Amino acid sequence: MKKTTMKLSAAARREENWGYFMIAPTIIGLVVLNLWPFIQTIYTSFCEHLGFGNYKFIGIGNYVEMFQNPEVWRATWNTILFCILTVPVGLFLSLLVAMMLNAKIRGKGLFRTIFFLPMVCAPAAVTMVWRWIFNSDYGILNQIFGTNINWITDSKYVMIACAIVAIWSNIGYDAVLLLAGLQNISKSYYEAAEIDGTSKINQFLQITLPMVSPTLFVVMIMRLMSSIKVYDLIYMMVEDTNPALTSVQSLMYLFYRETFVAGSRGSGAAIVVWTVLLIGIITVIQFIGQKKWVNYDV
Amino acid sequence: MKQMPRILALLLTAVLILPLSGCGSSDGKTHLTFQIWDVAQRDGMQAMCDAYTANVNPDVVIEVQVTSWSEYWTKLEAAAESNTLPDLFWMHTDQILYYSEFGMLADVTDLFPYEEHYGEISISNAQGSDGRMYGVPKDKDNIILVYNREMFDAAGVAYPDETWTWDDLEAASQAIYDATGNYGYMAYNDEQLGYHNFVYQNGGCILTEDKTQGGFDQEATREAVEYYVNLQNNDWCPNQAYFAETSPGTAFFSGKGAMFLEGSWNLLAEMNNYPDMVGKWDIAVLPAAPDPVSGDGRATISNGLTYATGAHGKNLDITLDILTYFAGEEAQRIQGESGAAIPAYEGLEDSWISAFSGFDYQLNLDAIMTQFDYCVQYVNNSARPKWKSGVVDIMTSIYNGSVDIDTGLDNIQNLINTETSKKLADS
Repeated sequence: MKKTTMKLSAAARREENWGYFMIAPTIIGLVVLNLWPFIQTIYTSFCEHLGFGNYKFIGIGNYVEMFQNPEVWRATWNTILFCILTVPVGLFLSLLVAMMLNAKIRGKGLFRTIFFLPMVCAPAAVTMVWRWIFNSDYGILNQIFGTNINWITDSKYVMIACAIVAIWSNIGYDAVLLLAGLQNISKSYYEAAEIDGTSKINQFLQITLPMVSPTLFVVMIMRLMSSIKVYDLIYMMVEDTNPALTSVQSLMYLFYRETFVAGSRGSGAAIVVWTVLLIGIITVIQFIGQKKWVNYDV
Repeated sequence: MKQMPRILALLLTAVLILPLSGCGSSDGKTHLTFQIWDVAQRDGMQAMCDAYTANVNPDVVIEVQVTSWSEYWTKLEAAAESNTLPDLFWMHTDQILYYSEFGMLADVTDLFPYEEHYGEISISNAQGSDGRMYGVPKDKDNIILVYNREMFDAAGVAYPDETWTWDDLEAASQAIYDATGNYGYMAYNDEQLGYHNFVYQNGGCILTEDKTQGGFDQEATREAVEYYVNLQNNDWCPNQAYFAETSPGTAFFSGKGAMFLEGSWNLLAEMNNYPDMVGKWDIAVLPAAPDPVSGDGRATISNGLTYATGAHGKNLDITLDILTYFAGEEAQRIQGESGAAIPAYEGLEDSWISAFSGFDYQLNLDAIMTQFDYCVQYVNNSARPKWKSGVVDIMTSIYNGSVDIDTGLDNIQNLINTETSKKLADS
């Protein structure tokens, strides 16, 4: 190995200082608003909250308690299940929508707007509307299908109901990102494929999918992370007296109830650290996995 | 999302900066904030504050701010931690012991001769664990039975009255269900508006007299909780899944059920919010336990809020003066007349009743006043914030059948005792 020492001229050093100066606002913001609270959270997870910001250090007690608590394991599984239900289906549908919006159809702009609309609405408002749609007595869903399903109070269906809302609200945003990816694919590939007589399905599998895979990968990571952190949707859909709560309670919802309802910030912080670990593990797996399917050679 | 338009960013900044400019009082007056959680009482509270400005101290202007109940405590705790509590705020029995224990609330014991004008329950709801008063009694309430007169008429059943017991409640529910197909009594999984009343009627208790232990090992308590939980197995009672989507109040006022338990503080709002229903419903005293283990079978949970101010407030002199005014007859009367709540000040109950005089139909409000004779203080001890949500969780699992009732009640008892003894050992 050869070590090279770079000697900077005074001008270059000045320029470097300017660089630091320019990124300072962002970096300071990150440290103050993200990094420092993160460190505090880790510290809190080893403490018991006595009240009004007074903490007592208790070592790993919160973690021991947490891993003995069946509710935490249940919430972990619920969170993973939520990801399994929402991410693949959501991605598939978003890609489908993106491809349709990329095709030559009339009123493309209108459709793009319509699909993007859920993203503009406040999640709380979206969920309130869906709650009425799912209402077992007066909801339109049961009316249409003539069923009598307790969508948000039956432990068998509540997760599916939440997943439907999550997918519905995210399709538009993901589709717009994927659309951008699709539009970067040069038309010439398809023209060449047409001349060779490649079928549409093969065109999709051989050209579209590999070419859009970097975008797909980014969207997938973003969607997975936000699915693991799902909170507002479930909070709005399921109140804490709902008999089906344990079947849908995610880690973040459990964290909220521990921290702000029960007031035990220590065990709440432990749940957050556990969630961060979970996200870390999944992200590492994804980055290893991407080598197999994401194509960066364009 | 990534590229937030510049205009939006500017707007946001402006919105964030705007409140800062409000701090500087340009008119030479002291501007104070008064934080509450019930939007229905905003006007009444503002009227009291304006009366203070008009009659006592013209240099003080108080603005009432409303935050919803669910956010109120998160916000207030954060404010207390950073020493930025609102100048005046409401305190609830659930939280007063916690706040006073950490020295967050100003001692208001010597502001007013409370014993002369306030009842025992009102005063104990305002006391910290050390017996000092950390809040000025604001109001008092209790729980009553709300019933739909039309459904009773349709089923040919007599309206509920003071002779009613749980048996009559069931019989009437069945008759109404048979005759109209609507639900009878809607037994909702709630403490204050639900099983706590039944427990005390049956001679049981949630906490023992000295508040150091739970009462869930007592036969009377277990019997009453079991009775209450099993009500939902009747055809005439919706199950908890129903209530998760439709609150008993919503069901009642949309004509789906004939009876539910309601707090006296909601009545005026319900008269106002459901004008079409006025005259079709009324209230009655709670039905008594037919065969209580002890006592005469009568009880209702009575709670009361308090007005409080922070111990380290910048304007402590002024806020204490305002609290003295709030404790006095004039302010309590204004509160009553606005219909906000029944004044805690004894002898002013009629001022609250007068707020209902504008309606064509007069509710049987005397039922509430009668109930004050045998009401039970709202359940509380200093460890309550630690066990409250745990008890709710266990009750939910009892209701959905994942825990059988005996185990569930044992778990509740354990939880209350463990948390309470831990708390007592700490302090």
